[in-house]
Amino acid sequence: MAGSAEEQLRTVARQQAAVAELGQRALGGLALEELVDQAVAVAARELEAEFVSVLELTGDRRGLLIRAGHGWPEGVVGGVLPSDDDAFPAFALGSDGPVVVDEFATETRFAPSAVQRELGIASALAAPIGSAGGHFGVLGVHSREPCSFGPDDAHFVQALANVVGTAAERARAEELVRDSEARFRELADTTPALMWTTDSDGHVTFVNEGWLRFTGRSLAEELGDTFAMTAHPEDRERLRRGWAEAIANRNELHAEYRLRRYDGEYRWVQETGVPRWEGGDFLGHVGTATDIHERRLMEEALRESEQGFRELADSAPVMIWTTDTDGLITFVNEGWLEFTGHELQEELGATWTVGVHSEDADGMLSSWLRALAARQPWQREYRLRRRDGEYRWIVDRGVPRYEGGRFVGYVGTATDIHDRRSMEERLRQVYEREHRIAETLQRSLLPERLPQIDGVAMAARYLPAGRGAAIGGDWYDAIELKDGRVALVVGDVVGHGLRAAATMGQLRNACRAYALVEASPAEVIARLNRLVASAGEDAMATVLYLVLDRETGEVSFTSAGHPPPLVLSRRGPDFLEGGRSVPVGAADPAVFREARETLPPGATLLLYTDGLVERRDVPLGDRLGQLKAAAAAAGGELQEICDQVLRGVLGLQDPVDDVALLAVRPEVASAEHLSLTLPAEPESLAGLRQRLGRFLHAAGASEAEQYEITLSVCEAAGNAVEHAYGPGDADFRVEIRVDGHQVTADVSDRGSWREPRGQERGRGLRIIEGLMEDVEVNSAENGTVVRMRRRLAAGVPA
Amino acid sequence: MTTSAEIAVERRDGSIVAKLSGEVDITNSQYIAHELAGSVPNDAAALVVDLSRTRYLDSAAIELLFDLARRLRRRRQALRLVLPSSSPLKRVLEVTEIAAVAPVHESLDDALKPSEPQV
Repeated sequence: MAGSAEEQLRTVARQQAAVAELGQRALGGLALEELVDQAVAVAARELEAEFVSVLELTGDRRGLLIRAGHGWPEGVVGGVLPSDDDAFPAFALGSDGPVVVDEFATETRFAPSAVQRELGIASALAAPIGSAGGHFGVLGVHSREPCSFGPDDAHFVQALANVVGTAAERARAEELVRDSEARFRELADTTPALMWTTDSDGHVTFVNEGWLRFTGRSLAEELGDTFAMTAHPEDRERLRRGWAEAIANRNELHAEYRLRRYDGEYRWVQETGVPRWEGGDFLGHVGTATDIHERRLMEEALRESEQGFRELADSAPVMIWTTDTDGLITFVNEGWLEFTGHELQEELGATWTVGVHSEDADGMLSSWLRALAARQPWQREYRLRRRDGEYRWIVDRGVPRYEGGRFVGYVGTATDIHDRRSMEERLRQVYEREHRIAETLQRSLLPERLPQIDGVAMAARYLPAGRGAAIGGDWYDAIELKDGRVALVVGDVVGHGLRAAATMGQLRNACRAYALVEASPAEVIARLNRLVASAGEDAMATVLYLVLDRETGEVSFTSAGHPPPLVLSRRGPDFLEGGRSVPVGAADPAVFREARETLPPGATLLLYTDGLVERRDVPLGDRLGQLKAAAAAAGGELQEICDQVLRGVLGLQDPVDDVALLAVRPEVASAEHLSLTLPAEPESLAGLRQRLGRFLHAAGASEAEQYEITLSVCEAAGNAVEHAYGPGDADFRVEIRVDGHQVTADVSDRGSWREPRGQERGRGLRIIEGLMEDVEVNSAENGTVVRMRRRLAAGVPA
Repeated sequence: MTTSAEIAVERRDGSIVAKLSGEVDITNSQYIAHELAGSVPNDAAALVVDLSRTRYLDSAAIELLFDLARRLRRRRQALRLVLPSSSPLKRVLEVTEIAAVAPVHESLDDALKPSEPQV
């Protein structure tokens, strides 16, 4: 599968372009059905695959429907495979990354599926679709000829599966939103409560049937700037003031006022309005009004006489209670007994938490006791058990009452607000889910982990904006270039939402492709600019593109409208100010400038997006100063520096916009000691070789010694890779020391050493024994250490 | 960082000469094996793999040379290797005793001389 390096890079760039294109279509709203077919076609084309399949978990989760495919004999697509057996599809469904089968003949983890067996499939590659824990299905590529799929192929298939997964999740969420909007209206119209919604200007956009029945007006009469029009003239001014304040501050509204009923009678209602948000935008309020006329009358009647009150209370359709001065219940009305199904005697005394949901009881009791001690009015929402066993949300409200200036206890009323509560809860869930989907999409477009680049330490952070905000189009990337330098990219697409996230994915992929063919930062940015201009979309992005020579610390960079990178060194923090140009997409043609600097030894570079330094209320200059101060105070490992900088600048607040932060430090090589932890994958070996070669060269080893020691260490590492404890995520460790002329190398893993298998591995051990003077293999339960020693002809010059 | 190797194939005096430059390890040995095996027509007397410009071989790469020698022998064709004694790869070829299946020559001209004594 691997040709020359360049050919490989071209293939990867082509595959990434194909993924970005598919992602773009997915976001363009292509139907899931068509998207799945296109994903199959792309996989077949890019991998020249004999067979491709998309399996979908069936509704009962017991089968995998072969939803789409390429190359299969008739009748295969549409069939169902079991999802709970030990075969390949079930294994791939349960894994959290791509699964590669070099040959089923030697595969021990699982068997081929019935279809694979029938067709004589020899090799396969499959990736789970959807997020871990909620997999939708499996995307698979199969071949009858044995072939080995490389890590680029695996990553490509996983990326396609991610696009399909995101689209599937979105399709499901859209269904839910549609569903829940319809349900909201239906619920709103069948609930006896009075409900309304307003837009961000406070204009009424909807009132429910209950409201229209109550006021006797038509929908057309109610919509628009009608707030408080039907309120009692004496209450109108007070209500309008409260309302204006709630809109301006986007607060909740609480009011009690008299509302005119259809028959002209003014009834006391209690109104609550809750602000609605979507993707960071204030949409208006959703509100309910509850008729509390009886309660108000009750309070008035109570002032007149106890006996008259009780008679009135029992005929009232609300739940009513009174207490004595110690807060002990002295009376509950028929309405209350009707609700709970209890006898009056059971309700009297210190019975405050009887029937209250266990999760709500403590909070309810302590708030009541606090109010009682201070003789303050009390209000609380909690769940109370109805006579049929169902817990219903109620709002309970008590006010102290006085006779002749003397406190005599409380009187309270409770109202069932269950339908309102569950509707609010449902709306909130829908908004949160949408936000999560956009976030998932954005994360799937970011590198899962930063690439391991030899000689450069890196750490990155991505902070999505606080709750209720839309997803941004920020990204970061690190690319190892052909000439051995490293390109670092941080970008921010102007705008928010799924569209910005999609544009981000496209720019990121394009940037990767251009990085491989262009050495100059200004030229890479110019190409991005041409791409955006030719796409004819009015997209715009700020991008910082920086190329680092890790040997010399020389950097060249272009900043397309992006805030300047920060360099941390012993000299203190300093911004790299040059290379300033217009944002990508702002003008065409445009001139992009490039600047060069040399980093001091041991310096750390901080690249970030403007979410870190931009806030509406503070000038940019001040925020950059704040960043500088936070960076000056930070120290330690890169991960810690990232966290300290974020904390120092943002405090404990969620950022108002997304923040991407990338910290990079060229490593200073030690001449005596090298210690590396690498993923247990064959691909780690090439980087390990480079690293060992440089280290041994610096230690004064001859060319032959460099090769022989490097080869020995890599053979031991190869064994660790092959026998490490699990597929995928395991690491191995290499420690090498030069003490005068003596070289000691340890290769350790957490797997168990296996006896060499076959001639090839036997040869590996023979090579180590032949090239090193001394080899020890220490195998314990928690891992294996291979220690190798050898003397150099000439050591480090002392 | 990826492993990369290049092969240049030419025909000389009835033999095939494949100059292998760069690095060969477990990640690209299959590809190299495929290329090398495919470069030998039936009428060629021998395949000469010139390792003068090869910078790195691991056990998988050496395994591929053993395998290639076996395959060619079945077709009554010879595998010869070229490796100057100054090469860093010298010892690993000795340790693995590759010369038992593919004679190692000091230079390409040596390898192409018929029935020269082996180095």
